[in-house]
Amino acid sequence: MHLVVCVKQAPDTEALIKLKPDGSGIEEAGIKWVMNPYDEYAVEEALRLKEKNGGDVTIVSLGPARAMESIRTALAMGADKGIHISDPSLDRADAFVAASALAAAIKSLPHDIILCGQRAIDDDSGQVGSILAELLGVPQLTIIMKLEVAGGVAKAVKAIEGAQVVLESALPCVVTAQKGLNEPRYASLPGIMKAKKKPVDVKNAAALGISVEQKARIIKMMPPPQRAAGKIIQGDDPEAKARELVRLLREEAKVI
Amino acid sequence: MGNLLVNGRDQRFVLYEQLGVEKIFQSEKYADYSREVAEMMLGEAEKMAVEDVLPTYDKGDREGCTLKDGVVSVPQCYHQLYKKFCEAGWIAATKSPDIGGQGMPVTLFAACTEPFNAANFAFMMYPGLTWGAAGLIEKYGTEAQKSTYMTRMLTGEWAGTMCLTEPNAGTDVGAIRTTAKRRPDGTFSINGTKMFISSGDHNLTENIIHPVLARIEGDPAGTGGISLFIVPKYRVNDDGSLGEANDVVTGNIEHKMGIRGSATATLNFGENGNCIGELLGEERKGMKIMFLMMNEARLEVGMQGLGHATAAYEHAVQYAKERVQSRPIWEMENPAAEAVPIIQHPDVRRMLLWMKSYVEGIRAMNYFIAYCVDLASIAGTKEEKEKWFGMMELLTPLSKAFSSDMAVEIASLAIDVYGGYGYIQEYPIEQYMRDAKIACLYEGTNGIQALDLVGRKLAQNKGKNAMNLFAMIGETCQAARKCEELKPYAAFLEEAYTSLAGLTMKFKDWSASANMFIPILNARPYLMIMGDVVVGWLLMQAAAISAEKLGSILGADGLSAKPKRRAEARKNSEAAFYEGKLAAAKFFATTVLPAVKGRCRSIEIADKAPLEILEESFSV
Repeated sequence: MHLVVCVKQAPDTEALIKLKPDGSGIEEAGIKWVMNPYDEYAVEEALRLKEKNGGDVTIVSLGPARAMESIRTALAMGADKGIHISDPSLDRADAFVAASALAAAIKSLPHDIILCGQRAIDDDSGQVGSILAELLGVPQLTIIMKLEVAGGVAKAVKAIEGAQVVLESALPCVVTAQKGLNEPRYASLPGIMKAKKKPVDVKNAAALGISVEQKARIIKMMPPPQRAAGKIIQGDDPEAKARELVRLLREEAKVI
Repeated sequence: MGNLLVNGRDQRFVLYEQLGVEKIFQSEKYADYSREVAEMMLGEAEKMAVEDVLPTYDKGDREGCTLKDGVVSVPQCYHQLYKKFCEAGWIAATKSPDIGGQGMPVTLFAACTEPFNAANFAFMMYPGLTWGAAGLIEKYGTEAQKSTYMTRMLTGEWAGTMCLTEPNAGTDVGAIRTTAKRRPDGTFSINGTKMFISSGDHNLTENIIHPVLARIEGDPAGTGGISLFIVPKYRVNDDGSLGEANDVVTGNIEHKMGIRGSATATLNFGENGNCIGELLGEERKGMKIMFLMMNEARLEVGMQGLGHATAAYEHAVQYAKERVQSRPIWEMENPAAEAVPIIQHPDVRRMLLWMKSYVEGIRAMNYFIAYCVDLASIAGTKEEKEKWFGMMELLTPLSKAFSSDMAVEIASLAIDVYGGYGYIQEYPIEQYMRDAKIACLYEGTNGIQALDLVGRKLAQNKGKNAMNLFAMIGETCQAARKCEELKPYAAFLEEAYTSLAGLTMKFKDWSASANMFIPILNARPYLMIMGDVVVGWLLMQAAAISAEKLGSILGADGLSAKPKRRAEARKNSEAAFYEGKLAAAKFFATTVLPAVKGRCRSIEIADKAPLEILEESFSV
């Protein structure tokens, strides 16, 4: 079984994010970068499928030089090889351009299942997996919590409001991973030592033959509005305070 | 990076900027290593420490270990963690790839395990003793012993211990009574009781391999008559499967002040005359062999001290930034002023900076010692090998005793930062103080460490190791004097280390005089002075590097433009980091180092009151 996993490097969830003064993006200096957590589920699921069915796992990542760290991490977890799409012209790619680049790289690879995180925790667009499936002309199973593959069919479970749906798809297909799909393994020390020797192809936009226009443009980034200060209800009588609280929730906050 | 355990930036500073660990990656032995590999390992260790080890910290303490129906159970949450820890390959990390290890440099291993130790040292005792015991078999075992025991210990399938202490033989190991009787097939029948055995019995693994010190019948008394035996909990059949129980019975487990998740057992060997051991190494060489494990274990205990110290400090800083209490001192006259986070109060800042300077100094010291081990192992010449090996030997008692003694102080001060909340179990800080104390006691009490330093290590290599150390401190003084900002502070280091060197010479002169017991009497204060001088040295060395790096961040104006420096540090975390290194070095140089001269003088006075006072007069 040929498994391909798309991996993005994103700021650590604990990282303190500062915006550039001109609002064009975030300050990258001093940020700790990690593999997007949803992509970790995708890598883990691919490794489990490989362990069960045999085959190989290829990691594809679009990003600047530092993205190689996430590829190596995935290789250290047990993936077999990597493709690093690195091109300054793609550094600020929107979801469509990113998916186009990934699709161009994946087309030339044998692929039965392509796994992605359901979204990246940096810009939260959640579109790349779906666009990628469209560009490759294959079905998509998105935001998946459980996956079984047998007899050329992928069977996946997805949570919807108040229920779960079970989806089936022929292969090849794109699967995007949701939290709960599995518990990602650590890269082991032997895995880290072996990862160095695994092949990673570095490709630029020209080598992939892509030149696409951005569909979306970031006009400005700004922090969310500051929360207003809380209100403390004064007084000694608990009953009166409770009555005042209810009144405020009803009349001012309009939540009850 | 804010993980409440370890400052990852400072770890990297010591590794890459202060020690220059990348130099050893150039050697043939460590050619598979690079900064990239090191970063991945540090990252994986930190991740596992935060996500998997830390959650077991208070759980393991509350649950503790139990002995029921002959089975010792560790805290439930340790099982899954142990499996993950072994699967990730940490037990064999520093071992040669030929025997299933990763050949990791000791320096890198020290850095990788720091967050583990900080997250839960009680848990780390289990793998820690296993890699130590496996190391003995690696070095002294026969091929059969290696394939039977060592390989399965290095995967974590089986665990290990070290069995020295007996009810009447702790510090005085030579007094042990455990015996080994020759059996016709060349094995030995072991009989005796060992106590305070860390990881002595537990249900994490199906077998436990005990290296046991015992005296073969007829061998002389004292340490020269002791041999070492491999005694498995369950015998191993020729095909590698587990055989019958080997008559190793757990008498009890201790109820301890701290590290409660670590099972400390009394083990009865051969109560039914049915305990079989194999000789490890040569007969009557047991103590020498065991010392290999003990020396490594002492450095691990030093790393334990560092682990508790850094976790206590990181917790205290975080708390001080969040806890709002009292108006600031400059608003003393203004009752309407708002309360501020306690990190703004001078006394809290002083406590935090005191902790920061010690934690960072102790980190640098322990990494430096590990680096000496690596430098010795890749040295090209005999002289170089001797130099770095000697440095490691000299500093081993400091690593063990100074790190652990200071860890208790640091944990205690961290409680002070929390105030009353620090004393209650809702907050994690009291546990660090309880867990830290054991490190002062086991692996040779800190009093014994001081005697090892003063009685053996100072004079080793004709005193050359100590002279090498003083020469390195002198070089740092010289470098720091060239920096305008550090010049006045370098003078304090200069005064401190020359005072210590003077005292050290006195010790030598006294060795054949009426004052010959003064160094023994004052071994522990001497060790603590030396610890302060070494910490002061490494902080100054770090400050000199930091001043240069900060200078290049600041550009043309350099370090002299104070307002610009403060503005830069507020927006640039790198600048803030280097400012922190300078502050720690200056604080230490002006608050701790000036006392060194007086402390040396107090020993040089050579008063004998503690020797002369009658036992009757201690408490009448």
